[in-house]
Amino acid sequence: MGIARYTLWRLVQAVPVLLGVVTITFLLANAIPGDPVQTMLGPSPSQAEVASIRAKYGLDQPLWQRYVNYLLDIARGDLGRSIYYETPVTTKIAERFPKTMLLMLSSYLFAIVVAVPLGVISAKRRNEPTDHAARVVSLIGVSTPSFWIGLMLILIFVFKLGLFPSTNLVLPWADPADVTGASTRIDVLGTALHHLALPVVALGTLQMAAITRIERSEMLDVLSQDYVTLARAYGVRERTILRKHAFRNAQLPVITIIGLQLASAIGGAILIEAVFSINGMGTLILTAIYNLDYPLIMGTTLVFSLFFLVGVILTDITYAYVDPRVSYGSKEV
Amino acid sequence: MSDTGPSNERTVPRRALLQTVGGVSALTLAGCLGGDGGDGGDGGDGGDGGGRLTLSQAKSPIEFDPIVLNDVPSAEVADQIFEAPYRFSQDLELVPVLASGDPEIERSGQRWIVPLNGDATFQNGDPVTASDVAYSYTAPLEEETENAGEVNMIETVEPVDETTVQFDLAFEFGAFKWYLSRSVVPESVREEDKDAFNKEEPVGSGPFTFEDWSEGEFVEISRWEDYWGEPVPNLETVEFTPVEEGTTRITTLESGENDVVKDIPPQSWETIENMSNASVEAVEGVSYFYLAFNCNEGPTADPQVREAVDYAFSMDDAVEQFVEPTGVRQYAPVPGVLSEGWDFPVDEWADIAHDKDVDRAKELLDDAGAVPDDWTADIIVPPDEKRENIGISVGNGIEAAGYSANVTRLDWPQFLEQYATGSADDYNMFTLGWAGSPDPDTFLYFLFAQEQEGVTNGTYYRNDQVDGNIMQARQATDREERRSRYIDAITTILEDRAHIPSYGLKNSFGVRDRVQDFVAHPTDQFWLVSGENNVSVQ
Repeated sequence: MGIARYTLWRLVQAVPVLLGVVTITFLLANAIPGDPVQTMLGPSPSQAEVASIRAKYGLDQPLWQRYVNYLLDIARGDLGRSIYYETPVTTKIAERFPKTMLLMLSSYLFAIVVAVPLGVISAKRRNEPTDHAARVVSLIGVSTPSFWIGLMLILIFVFKLGLFPSTNLVLPWADPADVTGASTRIDVLGTALHHLALPVVALGTLQMAAITRIERSEMLDVLSQDYVTLARAYGVRERTILRKHAFRNAQLPVITIIGLQLASAIGGAILIEAVFSINGMGTLILTAIYNLDYPLIMGTTLVFSLFFLVGVILTDITYAYVDPRVSYGSKEV
Repeated sequence: MSDTGPSNERTVPRRALLQTVGGVSALTLAGCLGGDGGDGGDGGDGGDGGGRLTLSQAKSPIEFDPIVLNDVPSAEVADQIFEAPYRFSQDLELVPVLASGDPEIERSGQRWIVPLNGDATFQNGDPVTASDVAYSYTAPLEEETENAGEVNMIETVEPVDETTVQFDLAFEFGAFKWYLSRSVVPESVREEDKDAFNKEEPVGSGPFTFEDWSEGEFVEISRWEDYWGEPVPNLETVEFTPVEEGTTRITTLESGENDVVKDIPPQSWETIENMSNASVEAVEGVSYFYLAFNCNEGPTADPQVREAVDYAFSMDDAVEQFVEPTGVRQYAPVPGVLSEGWDFPVDEWADIAHDKDVDRAKELLDDAGAVPDDWTADIIVPPDEKRENIGISVGNGIEAAGYSANVTRLDWPQFLEQYATGSADDYNMFTLGWAGSPDPDTFLYFLFAQEQEGVTNGTYYRNDQVDGNIMQARQATDREERRSRYIDAITTILEDRAHIPSYGLKNSFGVRDRVQDFVAHPTDQFWLVSGENNVSVQ
């Protein structure tokens, strides 16, 4: 099976997973105690008001009928209408998704760029001060909640040093006219990076620490293999051994951990968006839950699930690409 | 009018029930902010003859049309764009804005006639007419909006002429004048495109015009140069930005990202006081927080048990520890500012509250026939640290008296569904808060009137004399008569301990020194320009 067919097959497999996510989310959202209409109208709504709001959002229909209607709507690309914002859910998601994507992808970039060299150097200099420092940093990173790191960064770099802004996120592709103090695209990019720095470090630290630990561990494992010893015996340069013989073989578990970290990155993004007042999907899903906004809860969960699934599929494809021993599901004859 | 008064359905806006206070404090840093207060930032300082103010709200506005909006952040912005016939002054008197004088009351409080200022115009140049006022008060009922409960005592509103509007109510209602602070919209503009009016181009008669809005990011308003009233705003532009997380919000004050921040978390109060470039602006609000008992079912239906609970813990200590300095202790089921304004005998009422005496509590509980030996008191609390901690204090007191207690924190939707059922299976006690208008009726009627049982009255406290006083005071227009009835009712309520009053919150802001004339208002609203202030920045 070629990579294209493999990808297509994985996407087809994702459909029942998404259906399961929709079903479970729908049932869980409706099982949450409380009434969205009462939350919306306050403690003493009149019966007429309640009936009007219920009819408006289809809440007067039986659960099974709402579920069927919701599935049909999803098939048409309609995620419903937000009860809280009174706008289509897709509109709200389209507004918020780019900021969350920017935050998460930047965090991943930060994590990989820092963690991979750190893990390699740590393994190469095992039990030296560099290794000890890297291990301490990575241990703290995996043990510390991202929101706490965020608050500490704000305390130090905003409150004490005044070096960074603590709120909002500027998109690098925003129109300069919409960005305070920016007149060119370069200015916008600079402002975006300035705003992005602290949230990215706060969110990316966990991923960075986890990847560093696995990178170091795998590199140590590979460097102790017989073929590495043989290469050294042949007098191959240490740099070549690291780059050509050890590094690539150590990356498979790293790729796996990068994929698996997506779930924690999504959870972390929700908290980080709250801490840094970023107007993204995280704050959107929190608003949805606080207000029992069923369509918005389901829409945001569906998008996060879809994002996670795509991430996992990409991980699998990359895995197979990096390791020639991994096939795309069928044997060549 | 009967003693029990009207029983028509009426609703209370979401804003009345104090839901949001303290809701985002979980991530705050307890007292660890402080320091030397650099003065950087991009708060901006405006252009010629004005200035730019940046103000951080705790949540994002979601709409601006006063006919439909039903949340505090949206109202805070709309208050600068729209105007009402009357506005609450700093000392909670009604002062005319679009009105030209006091309302005339006829038919024992069932008809209210409001004269309008003929000079008032909307921002599109159209005059503010009696017809616009009538429309603004009837549209919520006709459109069944979320906030329709604020005006559902109105039967008809008719323009008498261009500058006189007549309200006929469904019943005699002495407190109606407080409802005349509802914003007026231009009927023709709104009817043209309601969605655009709500979210794109709201047009009011207030001193600021709507400029731009990105939901969750900012709202910008600017000075209306041709404002019909006085004074014309000093500020040229104002930007509202939402920052939900309390600590981050306070940090934006220090960094200069914002000039004013709303809702100071208790842990950050001292931080702002220690800032070299900012200070706290706070005033006691029109709010009331309390511990309430289930007087309908279970052991707490017995007044002796309620008195025992009063003995079992110290509300003074709980408020001191968990609420101050963001609030103040209250001894009556109406806000302190109201007690002051109505000259209520608060000192006498404070004497009704017991000091902590666990032995006496145990004695009363042991003697009460309604309390089983293995009683576990169920206390439900909303998701708010202050009210949760007070619930825990009560629970600890009951346990010290030899019984058990469960304190259950519920999310708002579940709490709202559960707190007014009257079932002992759902609760024996609950902690909650209420924000109303500057009239005792908006507290006593909704919290204690028998016709509000199961709606906003979760106590099911039944005393016909108290209920009669509340209902008759609600209809009377004579202030002295109302005051006398309220004193009688409150005294009995406190002696019977349907509630144990707890505290009133301060409406608080962190304000940078460069901002002049910004004033916190008791009603949890604020005005950047009014007859009493005109905010500017240096």
